[in-house]
Amino acid sequence: MKKIEAVIQPHKIEEVKEALKAIGVDGMTITEVRGHGRQKGHKEVYRGMEYQVDLLPKVKLEMVVPDTRLEEIVGTLTSAARTGKIGDGKIFVFDVANAIRIRNDDRGDAAL
Amino acid sequence: MTDLVVTPPPSVEEVHKTLASWTAEVEEKVRDSYAKTFGKSSGAPVAILAVGGFGRRELFPHSDVDLLLLTGAALPPKAVISEFLQTLWDLKLRPSHSVHTIEECTAEQTDNAEFTISLLDRRFLIGDQNLAESLNKSLTIFLKKKAVLIANQIAALAEGRRAKHQNTIYHLEPNIKETPGGFRDLQTIRWLQAIEPSENKPDLQPAFDFLAGIRIRLHERAGRDQNTLTFETQDGLSADPSDLMRTYYRHARLVDRTMRQAIETATEKKDSLLGRFHDWRSRLSTTNFTVSRERVLLRNATPPPDLTLFEFVARHGLRLGPRTVDRLNGFVPQAKWEDWKRLLSLPHASAGLRAMQESGVLAAALPEWHNIECAVVRDFYHRYTVDEHTLVAIDSIEHITDGRIKELVRESEHLPIIRFALLMHDIGKGSGRDHSEQAVEIAGRVMGRLGAPTEEIDAVQFLVRDHLVLSSVMTSRDLHDASTAKHLAERVGTLEQLKMLAILTYADISAVNPQAMTPWRLEQLWRVYLLVHEELTKELESSRIHDTSGAGSPQAQFLEGLPTRYLRTHSNSDVDAHVQLWRQLESRPVAVEIEQARGVYKLTLLTADKSGLFASVAAAISSFGLNIVKVEAFANTAGVVVDTFTFSDPHRTLELNPTEVDRLRGVVRRVVEGKLDADKLLRGRPKPLAPGKHRLAPRITFNNDASQAATLVEIVAEDRPGLLYDLAHAISVAGCNIEVVLIDTEAHKALDVFYLTAERKKLQAELQETLKASLEEACSGK
Repeated sequence: MKKIEAVIQPHKIEEVKEALKAIGVDGMTITEVRGHGRQKGHKEVYRGMEYQVDLLPKVKLEMVVPDTRLEEIVGTLTSAARTGKIGDGKIFVFDVANAIRIRNDDRGDAAL
Repeated sequence: MTDLVVTPPPSVEEVHKTLASWTAEVEEKVRDSYAKTFGKSSGAPVAILAVGGFGRRELFPHSDVDLLLLTGAALPPKAVISEFLQTLWDLKLRPSHSVHTIEECTAEQTDNAEFTISLLDRRFLIGDQNLAESLNKSLTIFLKKKAVLIANQIAALAEGRRAKHQNTIYHLEPNIKETPGGFRDLQTIRWLQAIEPSENKPDLQPAFDFLAGIRIRLHERAGRDQNTLTFETQDGLSADPSDLMRTYYRHARLVDRTMRQAIETATEKKDSLLGRFHDWRSRLSTTNFTVSRERVLLRNATPPPDLTLFEFVARHGLRLGPRTVDRLNGFVPQAKWEDWKRLLSLPHASAGLRAMQESGVLAAALPEWHNIECAVVRDFYHRYTVDEHTLVAIDSIEHITDGRIKELVRESEHLPIIRFALLMHDIGKGSGRDHSEQAVEIAGRVMGRLGAPTEEIDAVQFLVRDHLVLSSVMTSRDLHDASTAKHLAERVGTLEQLKMLAILTYADISAVNPQAMTPWRLEQLWRVYLLVHEELTKELESSRIHDTSGAGSPQAQFLEGLPTRYLRTHSNSDVDAHVQLWRQLESRPVAVEIEQARGVYKLTLLTADKSGLFASVAAAISSFGLNIVKVEAFANTAGVVVDTFTFSDPHRTLELNPTEVDRLRGVVRRVVEGKLDADKLLRGRPKPLAPGKHRLAPRITFNNDASQAATLVEIVAEDRPGLLYDLAHAISVAGCNIEVVLIDTEAHKALDVFYLTAERKKLQAELQETLKASLEEACSGK
């Protein structure tokens, strides 16, 4: 099992959700987050005052998927979230030791 | 998903029967258990008393069974107590007990006031009757002595609980026990009544019966003490859940109002420092109203016929006294648009509207309000009914913590428009069609009836129609995509409208639920605001009217090459008037028009563009002691400038000397024609006072990317008479030509946007430096 953590542009969330749904991925956790990557924010001028914008609004998706589906899901996610511009975000993949469904104690892939 | 089976709440008779029979059944079980345990023991005596709902004979199935085990100085053996409780558990009851002596029951409780309060509902069930009777005696004395203290404790607990639920009954999924207007409030009212009986209490029995019926069903469905009336349970209780909820809010409103009066009566006697401090407000009292303890009371039997009462509330941030609310029953205020605007411009406008809503006057004045009163619209995010959401939104403008949005609000001259738009923004909900479109129609109708001028109707309708535009862009559009900014700029039209829309959006989101305005959303909203702000500022010079369809007509010739903003900010009749002035230019070099509208004067000037023109006109106006608050200067392709100067008349020069208007027109004409030296006009006038401590440091920025042909200069400085002339003069001395000007003053701050060229080109770095220095000097008034 792998955990996928993706930080993407907020406006892409609906598209990504739809694309994942189309390949049968329904379960995910979505969080509104703020942060910056190598981009390190940028300066904005408003009424002659410069504002340093350090933390840009992004959306974080988290999901745990069976090993066999990892590449397919990451591929779908990447192409749905891509605009080709700076700030498109990143995807991280982690190993997961186990998953347990609290309701009936299912283990492993069965709990996903 | 399976279809829900609808089980309506039981009838009133059934409710009473259920509660009575369940109470009796549990009593029986308690007596039995007592007989089996304490009855057989020879230990110290004990009396079993029912408290809480059980004491009131209103025990709901699945509710806790509250018991007081009253003992003398000697305690019964612990084992017997456990056995007694165990027996009850075995009977599938949920006993919630406490063991206390009479002394403990009559001690002043500071940390556990709930315990004293629970004793108010005590009822002897079984055991040592002598113990129970001595408790009665001591407690009666205790309660009499401590009546004020206990009433205050009850009120404080109720206020804390109600605050946890945002002090409103209008939750979409209310907890019918804890939220304002629910069971706890009903009980609190009875407790306070028991301590200090008062007359004229409304009949709350129907509310109790209604809530009890629902609660019985909720407990049945959940199989436990579950009191939240969720969407799902609403569906399970009625085929028309919104109708069920309207009935709920109607009952809850009466309970809530009675509760608040009861709290006030209870705390009135508290002659505390705080109470005395609150009373300083009584100095606010006028011939019409008395203010006592933050509450407004009427001095006459009937309120003033217009909105005066509510304006008074909105000016000082007060609330209506209970008697005042009673007297407003059936009152329909005579109010036109100007009255509404006055009310909505006051610092605590939301308190004024809240008072109107609470007394039913809002719906009496605007019958359309009925559309959304207690209206339930179900979604994942909204916490409140539509009317409550609307009032919370208007209120949230007064409690903005973010500095950037706060500044927008502080500077806005359009708060009455924004507030009225908020009042209308969701009024189309529940109509079955697009709620924004429906609301636009309703708002137009309402404002037409109130006699609002067309441009203000337009502004409100714009805000209502587009009230979701910014928030939808925030989440669904790529902000880096240039077309997003363009599309939004087109939709929003002008900087003024953008500011209004941003404030309205902030308020609307904040009122969805108490946590809705997250830092994330705020940042997104601000980014969208900046994006459109930048686009609209850029567009001032770059986006020009071209190839209007009726090419060749005088109007088309006149419009050719004017900035797009010109059309967005001028009505058809404005344009017609300008075309008339333009035609005058065939016979004379300058056309000037001065008109007065709503407290300010507006001078419109059309002439052929030439260097220093703008500065001269600014000087001419300032030399009359007039204060320029707004300017727009545009030029069309043919080189004709259209300048509009809006100014106030702080010394009432024009108002008191009507002939001065003609003289001003003459001076402007001669200055433009070059027959009068503008610089001399201002020479005799006194310079402004020395700068104070809190002076705003001027900020001047140059931007060469904003337009293809000109340099954008933005100046933010503290406003003062003659500032505009000094700035414009500095610009023409530097040899620059003004292509487009947009000047705004907001709360003593001048926000000036100039598009400049030098020899038809953008300004080079060197020139920018020199100009910046002289502009800074002009700002500081040296």
